[in-house]
Amino acid sequence: MATIAPRRRTGASRERTSTHEGFLAHRNFRWLKLSAALAFLLIALYVFVPLPGTHFGSSWLGYTLGTVGALLILWLTMLGVRKRAITPGRWSLKAWTSAHVYLGLLLIVVGTLHSGFAFGWNVHTLAWGLMMLVIVSGMFGIWVYATLPRALSENRYDADGAITEKQMIEAMRSLDRQIHDAAQPLDPEGAALVNRSLEEDPFAGTFWNRLTGRYPRDATRHAASQLRQRRAYQPRVADDPVEKVDALLTRKEAMLARMRRHLRLKTWLQAWLYVHVPVTFALIAALSAHIVSVFFYW
Amino acid sequence: MTFLVRQIALKSNGEEIIRPSRVEGGELVIGRDASSGIHLPDLAVDPRHARVTEAAGGLLRIESIGDQPFDVDGRSTKGREIDPDVGAELGFGGHRITVSRDGESGLAVFTVRRVESVSESAEDVDLGTAYTLKGLLPGKRISAWGFAILMLVAFLAVPIWSYATYQPLAMHKDARRPAGIHGDTSWSSGHLSLSHKNLENDCQACHTKAFVAVTDNACLTCHTQDAHSHIPDKARLLRARGEPQGMAKFTQAVATAFNRPQGRCVGCHTEHEGAGAMPATRQQFCTDCHDGLRTRLPDTKIADAADFGTAHPQFRPAVIAGVGADGKPLLQRVAWTPSLKEANGLKFTHAQHLSKTNGVAQMVRRRAGRFAANDALGCQDCHKTEAGGARFKPVVMEEACESCHSLTFDQVGGTFRTLRHGQPEQVVAELRAFYRGGMPPRPASLSGLARRVPGDAALRATAADYARAVRFYPTRGDQAVAQVFSKGGMCYDCHTVTRGGSMATGGFTVQKVAQNGRYYHVGWFDHKDHRKTDCASCHVRAGTSNDASDLLVPGMDGPGGCRSCHVGESGSHLASVKVKDPVESGCAMCHAYHMDDGAPWKPADERKKGAMTTAVADRPRLPALMR
Repeated sequence: MATIAPRRRTGASRERTSTHEGFLAHRNFRWLKLSAALAFLLIALYVFVPLPGTHFGSSWLGYTLGTVGALLILWLTMLGVRKRAITPGRWSLKAWTSAHVYLGLLLIVVGTLHSGFAFGWNVHTLAWGLMMLVIVSGMFGIWVYATLPRALSENRYDADGAITEKQMIEAMRSLDRQIHDAAQPLDPEGAALVNRSLEEDPFAGTFWNRLTGRYPRDATRHAASQLRQRRAYQPRVADDPVEKVDALLTRKEAMLARMRRHLRLKTWLQAWLYVHVPVTFALIAALSAHIVSVFFYW
Repeated sequence: MTFLVRQIALKSNGEEIIRPSRVEGGELVIGRDASSGIHLPDLAVDPRHARVTEAAGGLLRIESIGDQPFDVDGRSTKGREIDPDVGAELGFGGHRITVSRDGESGLAVFTVRRVESVSESAEDVDLGTAYTLKGLLPGKRISAWGFAILMLVAFLAVPIWSYATYQPLAMHKDARRPAGIHGDTSWSSGHLSLSHKNLENDCQACHTKAFVAVTDNACLTCHTQDAHSHIPDKARLLRARGEPQGMAKFTQAVATAFNRPQGRCVGCHTEHEGAGAMPATRQQFCTDCHDGLRTRLPDTKIADAADFGTAHPQFRPAVIAGVGADGKPLLQRVAWTPSLKEANGLKFTHAQHLSKTNGVAQMVRRRAGRFAANDALGCQDCHKTEAGGARFKPVVMEEACESCHSLTFDQVGGTFRTLRHGQPEQVVAELRAFYRGGMPPRPASLSGLARRVPGDAALRATAADYARAVRFYPTRGDQAVAQVFSKGGMCYDCHTVTRGGSMATGGFTVQKVAQNGRYYHVGWFDHKDHRKTDCASCHVRAGTSNDASDLLVPGMDGPGGCRSCHVGESGSHLASVKVKDPVESGCAMCHAYHMDDGAPWKPADERKKGAMTTAVADRPRLPALMR
């Protein structure tokens, strides 16, 4: 976690330390320790407790693990409700999130032991698979939360300090206005090239473009390269408007690249939730079908 | 000509500023170039895009200077005549020019307005969503609902529909679901065992009613003949088990609360545990009752039994106590001891026959190719397995013994005459007949033509001998009979012969012989499963025993005993004894719950090797002769 704020490149280097403690390390990894202890206990129970019949969901241990697992899933889902009410204290949101993470990981042990490693093409394994998908996406989420915010901050800092999302748009508008003005003397072809750059929405792009940060048909880059190509065959003159436009387009490209890095990082930070949340509800539905089916064909 | 141009700009508060100007001259140029009459600072507009000239009838002609078209009233064109009195709207890039006529001066008026912003980035942006994935991915809420409903429909609604539509038909015995979608098969937690494979699509064959645990009736619908009770008295069965204590009591209470009765067939015969033979029942199902049974059922005749490795009562083989008048053996179950004897009526020296150094071995060496090995007799030279391989066929004298112990007594030409085995009357009759007919062979020297020793003395002696032979010839029959039944005789070698028989058997009685095909009737022993083991590693005394009445069947302990390898279900025997190659053996390896003579369930590692065929097809159903 980012416990040390990124160094500002203002010349005055001051190390700033923070007392911030992330949700992973909350209370000296209290929930990690608790979950690990429970996991070991459950595995020991699974291995050493003699059960009548094979290890299966239908032993007393299996039913217990199943009940615990189902309740745990419902409680874990409640984070979606809980996170909208930020409160401090013992049951602060941070404490809740910490418990969510580690108890969610514990669910791998609970759910898998409940299955007794009997997997097949059925609703029971489907529920297990969805559960694992949710957990794995959550693990991915933790990984991006732990690693990407630093990159996000670094991307926003430059010689003038940090830039906000709003300022990114403002900077883009400002550059566009300057390009617009500078491009006035250009011939129709040059103007059309520049205009395409202006008409390009900086937020355009598919999910895939955002995820990869690659925009193969970028109009600004195209305009800059075409103008340079055209200029290469023309004689050098003083006060060439194309030169100014070129310089501005280069600045816009840099700004656009930074904004798209920002978008890429934010996409990675957000995308996992588009798996985590909907699959959770699919899981709860499959879990309901799993439980009903067990009692239906009792 | 004069044109009025009104440039309209917007203040930041939305208020309009109008900058009017007059343009003199024959034509009015519209373009990006700053010298144009109507200057449009718009990159989509050519430097000199279009010109406006006066046309006949007070009309204005507007035409493109270059190749770029422009819009007139929303239609793209390169030239058009416009009546300022009627008015028109021209479109150049992001600008709109409204053409009209000024009321006061009567001049043509061009009202210029920027309608599109300079760039796309200048458009309003919702900062709350611009940097999110909104619009790029299906919303979390909608996909959550979608997935959840999909799951509920596919894995809850469709299965219940399958159940409900078939329910009226399900209760018939031979009912089979028609082909089609059986949604409830997605509820199956695993494949059914091989014997129930054809029920895989028909959940309701067993799960007859919703929310009711599988009943015994569902099993008995098909298993009308082959489901035996362990003991007929169910109450006694419950007493043997005793009241559950602790955890068991709690789980039973929970099971009862959830409408899951105890003691059903499926309590032991668990299903949905994968294709294959049904799994062997675990030891605990037996020891629940049989461990400490006497404390709960004081009148039981069965000894307490728990794990084979540590708490199994001594074996009680059924040994032959004698042979009845009808020739059937009288079996008696006695506790196994190393010195146990069996009255099978035979004389046999296992040690002598199996020796590698004595005359028997020498005979085998002389007759190479006749026996399994060429250096000495082996077990399989006499003991042949049954078709299934579980047990051995009785040793047949004619196949096993007679190749050495010949019953030949006469030769006619190249044919040997033999005594009839197993029929003493026939033996006696045969011998008497042999000695009754004719004379002893006449010595050649008594015939006149033969060459002989000179003088009469030799001739006389031969004649006297022959006369005596003729005189005594009939009694040779009785002598032969006595000889064959007495010590040194053919029969006496192997059989116990006593005096006091009828005339037909020459006054002798050959004791009836019985061979024991199965010693352990309560447990199941399969020789086939032990084929890789040398016979002598279990039948250890075969190499040393020279008495046929020695019981060579191994017991539980001692050299060659079952515990030499079998260590109980969880290898508990290993705690006290060192066992080479231990075999884990629960109750079900040797015992069956539904008591019949068949093989019990095979252990897990044997099931892979086509246990179904051995369990069903190769089951020898021998009559149990024990009482």
